[in-house]
Amino acid sequence: MKKKILSALLCVTMVSAMLTGCGSGGDAPAASAPETEKEAAAETPDAETEAPADTAAENEGTASAGGKLVYWSMWDAAEPQAQAIAQSIEAFTAETGIEVDVQFKGRTGIREGLQPALDAGTNIDLFDEDIDRVNTTWGSYLLDLEDLAAANDYEATANAGLMAACREVAGGTLKSIPYQPNVFAYFYNMDIFEEAGVTAVPTTWDEFLDVCQKIKDAGYTPITNDNAYIASMFGYHMSRLIGEPATEEVVKNGDWDNEAVLKTAQAYEELASKGFFSDTIESNQWPAGQNTELAMGSAAMYLNGSWLPNEVKDIAGEDFHWGCFSYPAVEGGVDGTEASNYGAQVFAINAKSTNAEQAFQLITYLTKGEADKLLSDMSVGIPADSNNAEWPALLSNVKPVMESLSTRYPWGAGAEANADMTPIIVENFTKLCGGSLDAQGFVDALKAAGN
Amino acid sequence: MKKNKTMIVTFLAPAVIMFAIIFIYPIIRTVAMSFFKIEGVTDPVSKWEFSGFANYIKLFNTQLFRISMWNIFRIWLLGGIIVMALALLFAVILTSGIRFKSTFRAIIYMPNVVSAVALATMWLQYVFSPKFGLFKSIGDFLHWEWLSKFQWLNPDHLFLALLVAYCFGMVGYHMLIFASGIERISTDYFEAATLDGANKIQQFRYITLPLLKGVLKTNITMWSVSSAGFFLWSQLFSMVVSNTQTITPVVYMYQNIFGAGNSMTERNSGIGAAVGVLLSICVVIIFVVCNKIFKDDDIEF
Repeated sequence: MKKKILSALLCVTMVSAMLTGCGSGGDAPAASAPETEKEAAAETPDAETEAPADTAAENEGTASAGGKLVYWSMWDAAEPQAQAIAQSIEAFTAETGIEVDVQFKGRTGIREGLQPALDAGTNIDLFDEDIDRVNTTWGSYLLDLEDLAAANDYEATANAGLMAACREVAGGTLKSIPYQPNVFAYFYNMDIFEEAGVTAVPTTWDEFLDVCQKIKDAGYTPITNDNAYIASMFGYHMSRLIGEPATEEVVKNGDWDNEAVLKTAQAYEELASKGFFSDTIESNQWPAGQNTELAMGSAAMYLNGSWLPNEVKDIAGEDFHWGCFSYPAVEGGVDGTEASNYGAQVFAINAKSTNAEQAFQLITYLTKGEADKLLSDMSVGIPADSNNAEWPALLSNVKPVMESLSTRYPWGAGAEANADMTPIIVENFTKLCGGSLDAQGFVDALKAAGN
Repeated sequence: MKKNKTMIVTFLAPAVIMFAIIFIYPIIRTVAMSFFKIEGVTDPVSKWEFSGFANYIKLFNTQLFRISMWNIFRIWLLGGIIVMALALLFAVILTSGIRFKSTFRAIIYMPNVVSAVALATMWLQYVFSPKFGLFKSIGDFLHWEWLSKFQWLNPDHLFLALLVAYCFGMVGYHMLIFASGIERISTDYFEAATLDGANKIQQFRYITLPLLKGVLKTNITMWSVSSAGFFLWSQLFSMVVSNTQTITPVVYMYQNIFGAGNSMTERNSGIGAAVGVLLSICVVIIFVVCNKIFKDDDIEF
């Protein structure tokens, strides 16, 4: 009998041990967590029950050590951004004595894991991601930073436009701090422009057609793109015609009868019929177009973000001269070259963080002075500190474009606002650019998709 | 007997409890979620908005979801036929006593060892490239214009490209299962058949194939399970934004739960859950049909 009681006890021990070990079991509810874990949770109010076991162990350790900041980063540890940040954090700790537990989660890691972790009460003080995702998707988890920013006089050397953008997406108050600004515009090969005799960047659609013709005559492919970004051309043209909010409405509500859709399609049909697109545009699966055509010097222009020169720098080489211009204005359109998708990665502080001041101190450290410059240099990115006036050489021509912008489009200028339509727009727009579909065919295909 | 019962309960309890927590609870929760509108996947139940069958109705009315179901069906059926046929062919050849058997087996199995990310990149950026791709080079070399000009990656052919690349990677795995099934069959049968004057093809048709029925069922089951969860290859063949030719229900589910591409799109984990429920129903149907077609092995050998 004793043996049986013993074995029953052992069984219970084993089960509780297994449950503790498997605390990360995906959907396991917090309520079912066994005693051992509850005790741990009681010690540290923020300890989680659902996040991966390894972070659980770390966080419990950090909380008891006291005061160590936990930073979930969107970068992968191997990326230059992560290396620059890690280097600066080391300097920050040396300077202030504040220890930081930085966890490089990567894009998907943050996107899939942050909200569940925050819901489970994981001890995360600060995190970063794209300006729109942080402020909209995770908006309810953010600490309002107005007071901290004012107390530290943060905005004295911050980019005013981006700070305004942060307030705009957060509904009028400051909940995030921008860094690594980016702008989405036409990036081009200046040497090809020069060779083709183009002296000024196009600001209107007619000038754009003219530039394309000259480049084609000089023996180069005027425009290339990849599946990943091609819908932006549709979004930009639509937004030039009727503005971004209206474009977003069209895309979300399937209002394909709106005459701007056909006008946009006709403009691209003309580009296609004149042979201004790469021969292989329909087959360009990212990053084929940006790597093998633009960076290799056979194509001249690519509508993309200011991260492009960094992404292709090993292929393009150091002597590649990057030019940049905002999407041209179209006749009778609402928006001009002053409107574009620009933004930044942003830092935000967890509303439940008990170390908000230290977290803000770290954010200030990373987005200003030496650390900001280091990040800018290592990642060929735009600096966030307005005192860091010198941009990386590859991006020197992006600066005037960035400074000329006053209207902000969200990603893709609204073209990708409806997830159920994006692949269908991409497919048909790609065919339009490749010449296998005409303007009316494009509109008809989109209309058919609504049924 | 009474004592035994206590022991049965004690020893079964861990497994039953674990099963309930890890399988039954998520299943019930997922089915329940599919009737609600839920923004974040970990939102507390108090934030769920009951919507009845609205999620299911929306799914059936969404062309993109119908496309994704059609894609997964094509992958399952066409890919299944190609992979099973090639795997069986290679398995028969490998077990027929050829030389360098293990070398060939290793080569055919190799793609399973290589990371899918590396494989997909190789196919997308090299083999199918319209500029310097392997197929283009072969076409140029043989002066086969149809091959060198073929645009594998355009919106009309991307599905074909995906199918070719995916099947290439899957043949080895199923071949191993077939090969082990064939090796289980005693050589006596083949010797006897040879003596009776049956040729290789007849031997395959009347000995190998009937005795492989159980193994074939295993293979089809494995294939169906991996097809239903088709995600990684779809993602790799349409980086950043998904594509009508490669989107599958699981990708569609992901987009509804975590958002699509770089854009801030509407999220609804309820729809994600509904996709999961529908997929499960499809898988159950496939299993029932499979079990009907391949009744339990009545041949013992």
